[in-house]
Amino acid sequence: MTTNEPVIIIDNLHKTYGKIQAVKGISINVERGEIFGFLGPNGAGKTTTIRCMLDVIRPTAGTIRVLGLDAQRDTMALHQHIGYLPGDVRLPGRMTGKQIINYFVNLQGREPVLLNDLVERFDVEIKRPLKGYSKGMRQKIGIVLAFMCDPDVLILDEPTSGLDPLLQKVFNEFLLEEQARGKTIFMSSHIMSDVEKVCQRVAVIRSGELVTLEEVGALREKAGQHIIVEFGDAVSEQELERISGVSLLTKTNGTYHFNISGSMDTLIKALSQHEVIRLTSQEAPLEEVFLKFYEEPEKTTPLA
Amino acid sequence: MATTTTVKDIPVAKKRAQGLSVTTRAITNSSTPLSVACFYGLLILLILAPIYPVMAQANFQALMNSSVMSAVLGGHLTNLFNFSALLAVEVFSSIYGLLFGGFVAWIGGAALPITIEDGTLDLALSRPISRTRYYLESWLAVLIGAVIISLVLALGVWIDTFIVNNSGVDWPWMWITLLVQWTFLFFAAGLGMLCGSFINASRAAGGTALGIVVLGYLINTFGGLSNQFQWVLKISPFYYAPAIDPLINHHLTWWYPWVLVVAGLVCGIVGLVVFNRRDLPTV
Repeated sequence: MTTNEPVIIIDNLHKTYGKIQAVKGISINVERGEIFGFLGPNGAGKTTTIRCMLDVIRPTAGTIRVLGLDAQRDTMALHQHIGYLPGDVRLPGRMTGKQIINYFVNLQGREPVLLNDLVERFDVEIKRPLKGYSKGMRQKIGIVLAFMCDPDVLILDEPTSGLDPLLQKVFNEFLLEEQARGKTIFMSSHIMSDVEKVCQRVAVIRSGELVTLEEVGALREKAGQHIIVEFGDAVSEQELERISGVSLLTKTNGTYHFNISGSMDTLIKALSQHEVIRLTSQEAPLEEVFLKFYEEPEKTTPLA
Repeated sequence: MATTTTVKDIPVAKKRAQGLSVTTRAITNSSTPLSVACFYGLLILLILAPIYPVMAQANFQALMNSSVMSAVLGGHLTNLFNFSALLAVEVFSSIYGLLFGGFVAWIGGAALPITIEDGTLDLALSRPISRTRYYLESWLAVLIGAVIISLVLALGVWIDTFIVNNSGVDWPWMWITLLVQWTFLFFAAGLGMLCGSFINASRAAGGTALGIVVLGYLINTFGGLSNQFQWVLKISPFYYAPAIDPLINHHLTWWYPWVLVVAGLVCGIVGLVVFNRRDLPTV
Protein backbone atom coordinates (compact mmCIF):
# COMPACT_ATOMS: atom_id res chain seq x y z
CA MET A 1 0.00 0.00 0.00
CA THR A 2 1.06 3.60 -0.51
CA THR A 3 1.63 5.69 2.59
CA ASN A 4 -1.28 7.98 1.69
CA GLU A 5 -3.77 5.17 1.32
CA PRO A 6 -6.12 4.69 4.29
CA VAL A 7 -5.12 1.77 6.50
CA ILE A 8 -8.67 0.39 6.62
CA ILE A 9 -10.98 0.68 3.62
CA ILE A 10 -14.45 -0.80 4.01
CA ASP A 11 -16.25 -0.42 0.71
CA ASN A 12 -19.99 -0.95 0.35
CA LEU A 13 -20.06 -3.82 2.84
CA HIS A 14 -23.20 -5.93 2.89
CA LYS A 15 -23.87 -8.92 5.12
CA THR A 16 -27.05 -10.93 5.01
CA TYR A 17 -28.11 -13.80 7.27
CA GLY A 18 -30.95 -15.48 5.43
CA LYS A 19 -33.60 -12.76 5.12
CA ILE A 20 -31.96 -10.51 7.70
CA GLN A 21 -29.71 -7.76 6.37
CA ALA A 22 -27.23 -7.22 9.21
CA VAL A 23 -25.06 -4.72 7.34
CA LYS A 24 -26.36 -2.61 4.46
CA GLY A 25 -23.69 -1.01 2.33
CA ILE A 26 -21.28 0.45 4.88
CA SER A 27 -18.27 2.38 3.55
CA ILE A 28 -15.58 3.64 5.95
CA ASN A 29 -11.95 4.70 5.56
CA VAL A 30 -9.60 4.83 8.54
CA GLU A 31 -6.34 6.73 8.22
CA ARG A 32 -2.94 5.63 9.49
CA GLY A 33 -2.37 6.50 13.13
CA GLU A 34 -6.04 7.23 13.74
CA ILE A 35 -8.23 6.04 16.59
CA PHE A 36 -11.59 5.49 14.96
CA GLY A 37 -14.77 5.01 16.97
CA PHE A 38 -17.47 2.71 15.68
CA LEU A 39 -20.71 3.27 17.54
CA GLY A 40 -24.23 1.98 17.44
CA PRO A 41 -26.91 0.35 19.55
CA ASN A 42 -26.95 -3.39 20.22
CA GLY A 43 -27.66 -5.37 17.06
CA ALA A 44 -26.71 -2.46 14.79
CA GLY A 45 -24.09 -4.49 12.91
CA LYS A 46 -20.87 -3.39 14.63
CA THR A 47 -19.64 -6.85 15.58
CA THR A 48 -20.71 -8.25 12.20
CA THR A 49 -18.59 -5.60 10.47
CA ILE A 50 -15.63 -6.34 12.75
CA ARG A 51 -15.93 -10.10 12.20
CA CYS A 52 -16.02 -9.50 8.43
CA MET A 53 -12.76 -7.54 8.80
CA LEU A 54 -11.21 -10.62 10.44
CA ASP A 55 -12.65 -13.04 7.84
CA VAL A 56 -14.42 -14.98 10.57
CA ILE A 57 -17.58 -14.29 8.61
CA ARG A 58 -17.74 -13.53 4.91
CA PRO A 59 -19.39 -10.43 3.44
CA THR A 60 -22.35 -10.96 1.12
CA ALA A 61 -21.04 -8.07 -1.01
CA GLY A 62 -18.42 -5.36 -0.80
CA THR A 63 -14.74 -5.43 0.05
CA ILE A 64 -12.54 -4.76 3.05
CA ARG A 65 -8.89 -3.82 2.66
CA VAL A 66 -6.56 -3.42 5.61
CA LEU A 67 -2.96 -2.27 5.11
CA GLY A 68 -3.54 -2.69 1.38
CA LEU A 69 -4.43 -6.36 1.81
CA ASP A 70 -7.78 -7.92 1.03
CA ALA A 71 -9.37 -9.10 4.29
CA GLN A 72 -10.78 -12.21 2.60
CA ARG A 73 -8.06 -13.19 0.15
CA ASP A 74 -4.87 -12.18 1.98
CA THR A 75 -5.92 -13.35 5.43
CA MET A 76 -2.62 -14.93 6.47
CA ALA A 77 -0.47 -11.95 5.47
CA LEU A 78 -2.92 -9.49 6.99
CA HIS A 79 -3.35 -11.25 10.31
CA GLN A 80 0.38 -10.92 11.00
CA HIS A 81 -0.28 -7.22 11.52
CA ILE A 82 -3.59 -7.31 13.38
CA GLY A 83 -4.48 -7.43 17.04
CA TYR A 84 -8.06 -8.31 17.90
CA LEU A 85 -10.07 -7.97 21.07
CA PRO A 86 -13.53 -9.59 20.89
CA GLY A 87 -16.59 -8.03 22.46
CA ASP A 88 -17.12 -10.84 24.91
CA VAL A 89 -13.78 -12.30 25.97
CA ARG A 90 -14.40 -15.98 26.71
CA LEU A 91 -11.46 -18.15 27.66
CA PRO A 92 -11.08 -21.86 28.47
CA GLY A 93 -11.44 -22.27 32.23
CA ARG A 94 -8.91 -25.06 32.60
CA MET A 95 -6.00 -23.00 31.30
CA THR A 96 -4.09 -20.40 33.28
CA GLY A 97 -3.54 -16.90 31.98
CA LYS A 98 0.08 -17.78 31.21
CA GLN A 99 -0.91 -20.87 29.22
CA ILE A 100 -3.45 -18.99 27.11
CA ILE A 101 -0.91 -16.22 26.47
CA ASN A 102 1.69 -18.78 25.37
CA TYR A 103 -0.85 -20.47 23.10
CA PHE A 104 -1.67 -17.25 21.28
CA VAL A 105 1.97 -16.13 21.15
CA ASN A 106 2.72 -19.41 19.36
CA LEU A 107 -0.18 -18.90 16.96
CA GLN A 108 0.94 -15.34 16.26
CA GLY A 109 4.45 -16.61 15.50
CA ARG A 110 6.02 -13.47 16.98
CA GLU A 111 7.70 -12.55 20.24
CA PRO A 112 5.37 -10.80 22.71
CA VAL A 113 7.46 -7.65 23.06
CA LEU A 114 4.78 -5.75 24.99
CA LEU A 115 3.76 -8.60 27.28
CA ASN A 116 5.60 -7.59 30.45
CA ASP A 117 4.59 -3.96 30.09
CA LEU A 118 0.92 -4.88 29.60
CA VAL A 119 0.85 -7.34 32.50
CA GLU A 120 2.37 -4.74 34.78
CA ARG A 121 0.32 -1.80 33.55
CA PHE A 122 -3.06 -3.57 33.74
CA ASP A 123 -2.11 -5.63 36.80
CA VAL A 124 -3.04 -8.88 35.05
CA GLU A 125 -3.21 -12.10 37.04
CA ILE A 126 -1.71 -14.83 34.83
CA LYS A 127 -0.92 -17.68 37.22
CA ARG A 128 -4.44 -18.73 38.22
CA PRO A 129 -6.74 -20.95 36.12
CA LEU A 130 -9.06 -18.76 34.03
CA LYS A 131 -12.13 -20.51 35.43
CA GLY A 132 -12.41 -18.14 38.40
CA TYR A 133 -11.79 -14.95 36.42
CA SER A 134 -14.31 -12.13 36.56
CA LYS A 135 -15.47 -10.33 33.41
CA GLY A 136 -12.96 -7.54 34.06
CA MET A 137 -10.07 -9.97 34.59
CA ARG A 138 -10.91 -11.78 31.34
CA GLN A 139 -11.07 -8.43 29.58
CA LYS A 140 -7.58 -7.60 30.83
CA ILE A 141 -6.27 -10.91 29.45
CA GLY A 142 -8.05 -10.06 26.16
CA ILE A 143 -6.26 -6.70 26.05
CA VAL A 144 -2.91 -8.43 26.65
CA LEU A 145 -3.64 -10.95 23.86
CA ALA A 146 -4.56 -8.18 21.42
CA PHE A 147 -1.56 -5.92 22.04
CA MET A 148 1.28 -8.19 23.22
CA CYS A 149 2.89 -8.84 19.81
CA ASP A 150 2.81 -5.14 18.93
CA PRO A 151 0.51 -5.28 15.87
CA ASP A 152 0.17 -2.34 13.47
CA VAL A 153 -3.64 -2.36 13.42
CA LEU A 154 -5.87 -2.98 16.42
CA ILE A 155 -9.48 -4.04 16.02
CA LEU A 156 -11.20 -3.71 19.36
CA ASP A 157 -14.81 -4.62 20.06
CA GLU A 158 -15.92 -2.74 23.17
CA PRO A 159 -12.45 -2.79 24.73
CA THR A 160 -13.28 -1.19 28.10
CA SER A 161 -16.32 -3.35 28.77
CA GLY A 162 -16.01 -4.75 32.29
CA LEU A 163 -13.05 -2.57 33.29
CA ASP A 164 -13.29 -0.37 36.36
CA PRO A 165 -13.04 3.43 35.83
CA LEU A 166 -9.39 3.49 36.88
CA LEU A 167 -8.44 0.82 34.36
CA GLN A 168 -10.57 2.51 31.70
CA LYS A 169 -8.41 5.58 32.23
CA VAL A 170 -5.22 3.50 32.07
CA PHE A 171 -6.48 1.86 28.89
CA ASN A 172 -7.37 5.18 27.24
CA GLU A 173 -3.89 6.50 28.04
CA PHE A 174 -2.38 3.34 26.62
CA LEU A 175 -4.41 3.75 23.42
CA LEU A 176 -3.10 7.29 22.99
CA GLU A 177 0.46 6.02 23.50
CA GLU A 178 -0.09 3.37 20.87
CA GLN A 179 -1.48 6.00 18.52
CA ALA A 180 1.62 8.11 19.11
CA ARG A 181 3.66 5.07 18.03
CA GLY A 182 1.79 5.08 14.72
CA LYS A 183 -0.72 2.33 15.43
CA THR A 184 -4.13 2.46 13.81
CA ILE A 185 -7.03 1.59 16.09
CA PHE A 186 -10.58 0.71 15.07
CA MET A 187 -12.79 0.36 18.12
CA SER A 188 -16.45 -0.12 18.79
CA SER A 189 -17.76 1.13 22.10
CA HIS A 190 -20.84 1.96 24.10
CA ILE A 191 -18.94 4.21 26.45
CA MET A 192 -19.34 7.65 24.92
CA SER A 193 -16.91 9.33 27.29
CA ASP A 194 -14.14 6.95 26.15
CA VAL A 195 -14.89 7.66 22.51
CA GLU A 196 -14.91 11.37 23.21
CA LYS A 197 -11.52 11.17 24.92
CA VAL A 198 -9.56 9.06 22.46
CA CYS A 199 -11.21 9.01 19.02
CA GLN A 200 -10.53 11.48 16.24
CA ARG A 201 -13.49 10.38 14.13
CA VAL A 202 -16.57 8.31 14.77
CA ALA A 203 -19.05 6.43 12.64
CA VAL A 204 -22.50 5.68 13.97
CA ILE A 205 -24.26 2.63 12.60
CA ARG A 206 -27.92 1.80 13.15
CA SER A 207 -29.87 -1.16 11.77
CA GLY A 208 -26.89 -2.01 9.56
CA GLU A 209 -26.72 1.43 7.99
CA LEU A 210 -24.21 4.19 8.49
CA VAL A 211 -26.05 7.20 9.90
CA THR A 212 -23.10 9.50 10.39
CA LEU A 213 -19.33 9.61 10.02
CA GLU A 214 -17.77 12.72 11.47
CA GLU A 215 -14.87 14.15 13.38
CA VAL A 216 -15.44 14.26 17.11
CA GLY A 217 -14.77 18.02 17.02
CA ALA A 218 -17.53 18.55 14.47
CA LEU A 219 -19.91 16.49 16.55
CA ARG A 220 -19.03 18.59 19.58
CA GLU A 221 -19.93 21.69 17.61
CA LYS A 222 -23.17 20.06 16.60
CA ALA A 223 -23.90 19.27 20.21
CA GLY A 224 -23.58 23.01 20.95
CA GLN A 225 -24.39 24.35 24.41
CA HIS A 226 -26.57 22.95 27.12
CA ILE A 227 -28.77 25.75 28.50
CA ILE A 228 -30.61 25.85 31.81
CA VAL A 229 -32.95 28.80 32.19
CA GLU A 230 -35.44 29.80 34.87
CA PHE A 231 -38.03 32.45 34.06
CA GLY A 232 -39.81 34.87 36.34
CA ASP A 233 -42.83 35.01 34.03
CA ALA A 234 -44.81 32.41 32.07
CA VAL A 235 -43.04 31.08 28.97
CA SER A 236 -44.52 28.30 26.84
CA GLU A 237 -42.50 25.34 25.57
CA GLN A 238 -43.68 26.09 22.04
CA GLU A 239 -42.09 29.52 22.17
CA LEU A 240 -38.71 28.05 23.09
CA GLU A 241 -38.99 25.26 20.55
CA ARG A 242 -39.48 27.84 17.81
CA ILE A 243 -36.00 29.28 18.48
CA SER A 244 -33.54 28.22 15.79
CA GLY A 245 -31.13 25.43 16.93
CA VAL A 246 -33.01 24.42 20.07
CA SER A 247 -33.32 20.69 20.71
CA LEU A 248 -33.94 18.18 23.50
CA LEU A 249 -36.16 20.64 25.41
CA THR A 250 -37.38 19.51 28.82
CA LYS A 251 -39.02 21.31 31.76
CA THR A 252 -38.20 20.33 35.34
CA ASN A 253 -39.60 22.18 38.38
CA GLY A 254 -40.27 25.28 36.33
CA THR A 255 -36.76 25.30 34.85
CA TYR A 256 -36.15 24.69 31.16
CA HIS A 257 -33.25 22.51 29.99
CA PHE A 258 -32.31 22.38 26.30
CA ASN A 259 -29.42 22.21 23.87
CA ILE A 260 -28.71 24.91 21.33
CA SER A 261 -26.44 24.58 18.32
CA GLY A 262 -25.16 27.40 16.15
CA SER A 263 -25.44 31.08 17.03
CA MET A 264 -26.73 32.10 20.47
CA ASP A 265 -27.93 35.47 19.16
CA THR A 266 -31.52 34.39 18.41
CA LEU A 267 -31.77 32.71 21.81
CA ILE A 268 -30.55 35.77 23.70
CA LYS A 269 -32.93 38.04 21.82
CA ALA A 270 -35.84 35.68 22.55
CA LEU A 271 -34.95 35.41 26.25
CA SER A 272 -34.68 39.18 26.59
CA GLN A 273 -38.45 39.39 26.04
CA HIS A 274 -38.94 37.69 29.42
CA GLU A 275 -37.81 37.99 33.02
CA VAL A 276 -34.83 35.63 33.35
CA ILE A 277 -34.04 34.62 36.95
CA ARG A 278 -31.19 32.21 36.20
CA LEU A 279 -29.30 31.31 33.04
CA THR A 280 -26.58 28.66 32.80
CA SER A 281 -24.71 27.63 29.68
CA GLN A 282 -22.27 24.74 29.41
CA GLU A 283 -20.81 22.50 26.68
CA ALA A 284 -23.38 19.84 25.82
CA PRO A 285 -22.19 16.26 26.37
CA LEU A 286 -21.53 14.34 23.15
CA GLU A 287 -23.50 11.48 24.56
CA GLU A 288 -26.71 13.30 23.73
CA VAL A 289 -25.66 13.63 20.10
CA PHE A 290 -24.85 9.95 19.89
CA LEU A 291 -28.08 9.01 21.55
CA LYS A 292 -29.93 11.15 19.06
CA PHE A 293 -28.46 9.03 16.28
CA TYR A 294 -29.31 5.88 18.22
CA GLU A 295 -32.88 6.76 19.05
CA GLU A 296 -34.40 8.82 16.28
CA PRO A 297 -34.39 6.81 13.08
CA GLU A 298 -37.10 8.95 11.45
CA LYS A 299 -35.15 12.21 11.91
CA THR A 300 -31.74 11.06 10.68
CA THR A 301 -31.19 9.98 7.11
CA PRO A 302 -28.62 7.21 6.60
CA LEU A 303 -25.59 8.20 4.58
CA ALA A 304 -25.46 6.81 1.06
CA MET B 1 -7.51 14.54 24.31
CA ALA B 2 -5.68 16.44 26.97
CA THR B 3 -3.50 13.50 27.92
CA THR B 4 0.18 13.81 27.11
CA THR B 5 1.67 10.70 25.54
CA THR B 6 5.22 9.49 25.30
CA VAL B 7 6.65 7.22 22.64
CA LYS B 8 8.52 4.27 24.09
CA ASP B 9 11.40 2.47 22.46
CA ILE B 10 10.00 -1.01 21.88
CA PRO B 11 11.99 -3.69 20.03
CA VAL B 12 10.55 -5.15 16.84
CA ALA B 13 8.69 -8.40 17.52
CA LYS B 14 10.88 -11.19 16.15
CA LYS B 15 9.34 -14.16 14.38
CA ARG B 16 9.12 -17.50 16.14
CA ALA B 17 7.95 -20.97 15.13
CA GLN B 18 4.23 -21.62 15.45
CA GLY B 19 4.67 -25.38 15.94
CA LEU B 20 1.63 -27.61 16.23
CA SER B 21 -0.04 -25.40 18.82
CA VAL B 22 -3.59 -26.17 17.70
CA THR B 23 -2.91 -29.92 17.76
CA THR B 24 -1.45 -29.76 21.25
CA ARG B 25 -4.37 -27.66 22.43
CA ALA B 26 -6.92 -30.01 20.81
CA ILE B 27 -5.33 -33.07 22.47
CA THR B 28 -5.53 -31.28 25.83
CA ASN B 29 -9.18 -30.40 25.14
CA SER B 30 -9.98 -34.06 24.45
CA SER B 31 -8.00 -35.42 27.38
CA THR B 32 -11.08 -36.41 29.41
CA PRO B 33 -12.87 -38.62 26.80
CA LEU B 34 -9.50 -39.92 25.65
CA SER B 35 -8.54 -40.92 29.18
CA VAL B 36 -11.92 -42.56 29.72
CA ALA B 37 -11.56 -44.59 26.49
CA CYS B 38 -8.06 -45.72 27.47
CA PHE B 39 -9.21 -46.54 31.01
CA TYR B 40 -12.11 -48.69 29.78
CA GLY B 41 -9.91 -50.45 27.25
CA LEU B 42 -7.26 -51.27 29.82
CA LEU B 43 -9.84 -52.24 32.43
CA ILE B 44 -11.59 -54.69 30.11
CA LEU B 45 -8.31 -56.22 28.95
CA LEU B 46 -6.86 -56.53 32.43
CA ILE B 47 -10.02 -58.19 33.72
CA LEU B 48 -9.93 -60.72 30.86
CA ALA B 49 -6.65 -62.27 31.96
CA PRO B 50 -7.76 -63.40 35.44
CA ILE B 51 -11.16 -64.62 34.25
CA TYR B 52 -9.77 -66.50 31.24
CA PRO B 53 -9.14 -69.84 33.03
CA VAL B 54 -12.78 -69.98 34.16
CA MET B 55 -14.11 -68.86 30.78
CA ALA B 56 -11.99 -71.47 28.99
CA GLN B 57 -13.56 -74.26 31.05
CA ALA B 58 -17.13 -73.14 30.41
CA ASN B 59 -18.97 -74.47 27.41
CA PHE B 60 -20.10 -71.60 25.26
CA GLN B 61 -20.30 -73.66 22.08
CA ALA B 62 -24.04 -73.19 21.61
CA LEU B 63 -23.73 -69.48 22.23
CA MET B 64 -20.81 -69.11 19.83
CA ASN B 65 -22.62 -70.98 17.10
CA SER B 66 -25.70 -68.79 17.31
CA SER B 67 -26.28 -66.32 14.52
CA VAL B 68 -27.31 -63.70 17.08
CA MET B 69 -23.89 -63.83 18.73
CA SER B 70 -22.18 -63.64 15.34
CA ALA B 71 -24.31 -60.63 14.47
CA VAL B 72 -23.53 -58.89 17.77
CA LEU B 73 -19.80 -59.55 17.41
CA GLY B 74 -19.70 -58.91 13.68
CA GLY B 75 -17.99 -62.25 12.97
CA HIS B 76 -18.27 -65.97 13.56
CA LEU B 77 -16.30 -67.68 16.33
CA THR B 78 -16.21 -71.45 16.57
CA ASN B 79 -14.80 -71.84 20.07
CA LEU B 80 -13.61 -69.98 23.15
CA PHE B 81 -10.75 -72.32 23.96
CA ASN B 82 -7.90 -69.90 23.55
CA PHE B 83 -7.12 -66.47 24.89
CA SER B 84 -7.20 -64.79 21.47
CA ALA B 85 -10.80 -65.95 21.06
CA LEU B 86 -11.71 -64.38 24.39
CA LEU B 87 -9.98 -61.16 23.33
CA ALA B 88 -11.98 -61.29 20.10
CA VAL B 89 -15.29 -61.69 21.91
CA GLU B 90 -14.71 -59.03 24.54
CA VAL B 91 -12.70 -56.39 22.69
CA PHE B 92 -11.62 -57.12 19.12
CA SER B 93 -15.04 -57.52 17.54
CA SER B 94 -17.64 -54.98 16.46
CA ILE B 95 -17.60 -53.89 20.10
CA TYR B 96 -14.22 -52.28 19.39
CA GLY B 97 -15.69 -50.00 16.75
CA LEU B 98 -18.75 -49.27 18.83
CA LEU B 99 -16.84 -48.38 21.99
CA PHE B 100 -13.58 -46.88 20.81
CA GLY B 101 -14.94 -45.71 17.44
CA GLY B 102 -17.68 -44.00 19.41
CA PHE B 103 -15.17 -42.24 21.64
CA VAL B 104 -13.11 -41.11 18.65
CA ALA B 105 -16.23 -39.92 16.79
CA TRP B 106 -17.24 -37.92 19.86
CA ILE B 107 -13.77 -36.42 20.24
CA GLY B 108 -13.67 -35.57 16.52
CA GLY B 109 -17.14 -34.05 16.59
CA ALA B 110 -16.31 -31.86 19.58
CA ALA B 111 -12.82 -30.83 18.42
CA LEU B 112 -13.89 -27.67 16.55
CA PRO B 113 -17.13 -26.66 18.34
CA ILE B 114 -15.45 -26.79 21.74
CA THR B 115 -13.21 -23.93 20.59
CA ILE B 116 -16.29 -21.96 19.55
CA GLU B 117 -17.71 -22.53 23.02
CA ASP B 118 -14.57 -21.55 24.90
CA GLY B 119 -14.08 -18.47 22.73
CA THR B 120 -10.65 -19.37 21.37
CA LEU B 121 -11.64 -20.00 17.73
CA ASP B 122 -12.24 -16.32 16.90
CA LEU B 123 -9.05 -15.31 18.65
CA ALA B 124 -7.04 -18.07 16.96
CA LEU B 125 -8.31 -17.26 13.48
CA SER B 126 -7.48 -13.58 13.96
CA ARG B 127 -3.85 -14.80 14.11
CA PRO B 128 -1.85 -15.72 11.00
CA ILE B 129 -3.23 -19.23 10.86
CA SER B 130 -5.53 -20.37 8.08
CA ARG B 131 -8.79 -22.18 8.63
CA THR B 132 -7.36 -25.11 6.65
CA ARG B 133 -4.40 -25.42 8.97
CA TYR B 134 -6.59 -25.03 12.04
CA TYR B 135 -8.88 -27.79 10.80
CA LEU B 136 -6.06 -30.13 9.78
CA GLU B 137 -4.25 -29.67 13.09
CA SER B 138 -7.48 -30.43 14.96
CA TRP B 139 -7.99 -33.53 12.81
CA LEU B 140 -4.41 -34.60 13.48
CA ALA B 141 -5.09 -34.31 17.21
CA VAL B 142 -8.06 -36.67 16.89
CA LEU B 143 -5.97 -39.15 14.90
CA ILE B 144 -3.21 -39.00 17.50
CA GLY B 145 -5.89 -39.72 20.09
CA ALA B 146 -6.89 -42.78 18.04
CA VAL B 147 -3.25 -43.94 17.95
CA ILE B 148 -3.00 -43.52 21.72
CA ILE B 149 -6.12 -45.67 22.23
CA SER B 150 -4.72 -48.39 19.93
CA LEU B 151 -1.36 -48.37 21.69
CA VAL B 152 -2.98 -48.53 25.12
CA LEU B 153 -4.98 -51.56 23.97
CA ALA B 154 -1.82 -53.16 22.63
CA LEU B 155 -0.22 -52.50 26.01
CA GLY B 156 -3.19 -54.15 27.74
CA VAL B 157 -2.87 -57.27 25.59
CA TRP B 158 0.87 -57.33 26.21
CA ILE B 159 0.33 -57.18 29.99
CA ASP B 160 -2.27 -59.96 29.65
CA THR B 161 0.31 -62.23 28.03
CA PHE B 162 2.31 -62.14 31.27
CA ILE B 163 -0.73 -63.09 33.33
CA VAL B 164 -2.15 -65.81 31.06
CA ASN B 165 0.03 -68.89 30.65
CA ASN B 166 0.50 -69.84 27.02
CA SER B 167 -1.79 -67.07 25.85
CA GLY B 168 -1.06 -67.97 22.25
CA VAL B 169 -1.45 -64.37 21.05
CA ASP B 170 -0.06 -64.15 17.51
CA TRP B 171 1.56 -60.70 17.65
CA PRO B 172 1.96 -60.07 13.91
CA TRP B 173 -1.76 -60.74 13.45
CA MET B 174 -2.55 -58.78 16.60
CA TRP B 175 -0.83 -55.72 15.09
CA ILE B 176 -2.68 -56.28 11.82
CA THR B 177 -5.95 -56.45 13.77
CA LEU B 178 -5.08 -53.25 15.63
CA LEU B 179 -4.20 -51.58 12.33
CA VAL B 180 -7.49 -52.67 10.76
CA GLN B 181 -9.36 -51.39 13.78
CA TRP B 182 -7.38 -48.16 13.63
CA THR B 183 -8.76 -47.62 10.11
CA PHE B 184 -12.19 -47.73 11.72
CA LEU B 185 -11.03 -45.09 14.20
CA PHE B 186 -9.69 -43.11 11.22
CA PHE B 187 -13.15 -43.24 9.68
CA ALA B 188 -14.75 -42.23 12.98
CA ALA B 189 -12.33 -39.28 13.27
CA GLY B 190 -13.22 -38.06 9.75
CA LEU B 191 -16.92 -38.49 10.49
CA GLY B 192 -16.55 -36.52 13.73
CA MET B 193 -14.67 -33.72 11.99
CA LEU B 194 -17.40 -33.52 9.37
CA CYS B 195 -20.09 -33.18 12.04
CA GLY B 196 -18.02 -30.61 13.94
CA SER B 197 -17.49 -28.54 10.81
CA PHE B 198 -21.11 -27.41 10.66
CA ILE B 199 -22.54 -28.00 14.15
CA ASN B 200 -21.71 -25.26 16.66
CA ALA B 201 -22.26 -27.11 19.95
CA SER B 202 -19.64 -29.67 20.95
CA ARG B 203 -22.11 -32.06 22.58
CA ALA B 204 -24.46 -31.92 19.60
CA ALA B 205 -21.62 -32.49 17.12
CA GLY B 206 -20.00 -35.27 19.17
CA GLY B 207 -23.40 -36.82 19.81
CA THR B 208 -24.32 -36.78 16.12
CA ALA B 209 -21.07 -38.48 15.14
CA LEU B 210 -21.49 -41.04 17.92
CA GLY B 211 -25.10 -41.60 16.83
CA ILE B 212 -23.98 -42.39 13.29
CA VAL B 213 -21.46 -44.93 14.63
CA VAL B 214 -24.18 -46.56 16.76
CA LEU B 215 -26.49 -46.61 13.74
CA GLY B 216 -23.75 -48.35 11.75
CA TYR B 217 -23.41 -50.92 14.53
CA LEU B 218 -27.17 -51.56 14.57
CA ILE B 219 -27.20 -51.99 10.79
CA ASN B 220 -24.32 -54.43 11.10
CA THR B 221 -26.05 -56.36 13.87
CA PHE B 222 -29.49 -56.58 12.26
CA GLY B 223 -27.97 -57.28 8.85
CA GLY B 224 -26.17 -60.26 10.33
CA LEU B 225 -29.32 -61.77 11.84
CA SER B 226 -30.80 -62.96 8.59
CA ASN B 227 -29.53 -63.89 5.16
CA GLN B 228 -32.25 -61.72 3.66
CA PHE B 229 -30.63 -58.62 5.11
CA GLN B 230 -27.04 -59.48 4.22
CA TRP B 231 -26.91 -56.68 1.66
CA VAL B 232 -27.49 -54.13 4.43
CA LEU B 233 -24.16 -55.09 5.98
CA LYS B 234 -22.29 -53.44 3.15
CA ILE B 235 -23.52 -49.98 4.04
CA SER B 236 -22.24 -50.31 7.60
CA PRO B 237 -18.65 -49.23 8.30
CA PHE B 238 -18.34 -52.14 10.74
CA TYR B 239 -18.48 -54.57 7.82
CA TYR B 240 -15.14 -53.22 6.59
CA ALA B 241 -13.34 -53.54 9.93
CA PRO B 242 -13.39 -57.26 10.68
CA ALA B 243 -11.40 -57.99 13.83
CA ILE B 244 -12.27 -61.61 14.45
CA ASP B 245 -11.12 -62.72 11.00
CA PRO B 246 -7.52 -61.49 11.23
CA LEU B 247 -7.11 -62.21 14.95
CA ILE B 248 -8.56 -65.73 15.00
CA ASN B 249 -8.63 -66.96 11.42
CA HIS B 250 -5.51 -65.06 10.30
CA HIS B 251 -7.32 -63.88 7.24
CA LEU B 252 -8.03 -60.39 5.93
CA THR B 253 -9.74 -59.09 2.81
CA TRP B 254 -7.06 -56.54 2.02
CA TRP B 255 -9.25 -53.84 0.52
CA TYR B 256 -11.79 -53.66 3.35
CA PRO B 257 -9.72 -51.28 5.54
CA TRP B 258 -9.12 -49.06 2.52
CA VAL B 259 -12.87 -48.49 2.26
CA LEU B 260 -12.76 -47.01 5.76
CA VAL B 261 -9.66 -44.96 4.97
CA VAL B 262 -11.30 -43.52 1.86
CA ALA B 263 -14.60 -42.91 3.69
CA GLY B 264 -12.75 -41.20 6.54
CA LEU B 265 -10.80 -39.05 4.09
CA VAL B 266 -13.95 -38.09 2.17
CA CYS B 267 -15.74 -37.12 5.41
CA GLY B 268 -12.75 -35.16 6.64
CA ILE B 269 -12.21 -33.33 3.36
CA VAL B 270 -15.91 -32.46 3.01
CA GLY B 271 -15.74 -31.16 6.58
CA LEU B 272 -12.69 -29.07 5.65
CA VAL B 273 -14.53 -27.52 2.69
CA VAL B 274 -17.57 -26.76 4.88
CA PHE B 275 -15.41 -25.27 7.65
CA ASN B 276 -13.56 -23.10 5.13
CA ARG B 277 -16.73 -21.74 3.56
CA ARG B 278 -18.99 -21.12 6.50
CA ASP B 279 -19.49 -18.11 8.75
CA LEU B 280 -18.16 -18.95 12.17
CA PRO B 281 -20.45 -18.11 15.07
CA THR B 282 -19.84 -16.60 18.47
CA VAL B 283 -21.49 -18.03 21.54
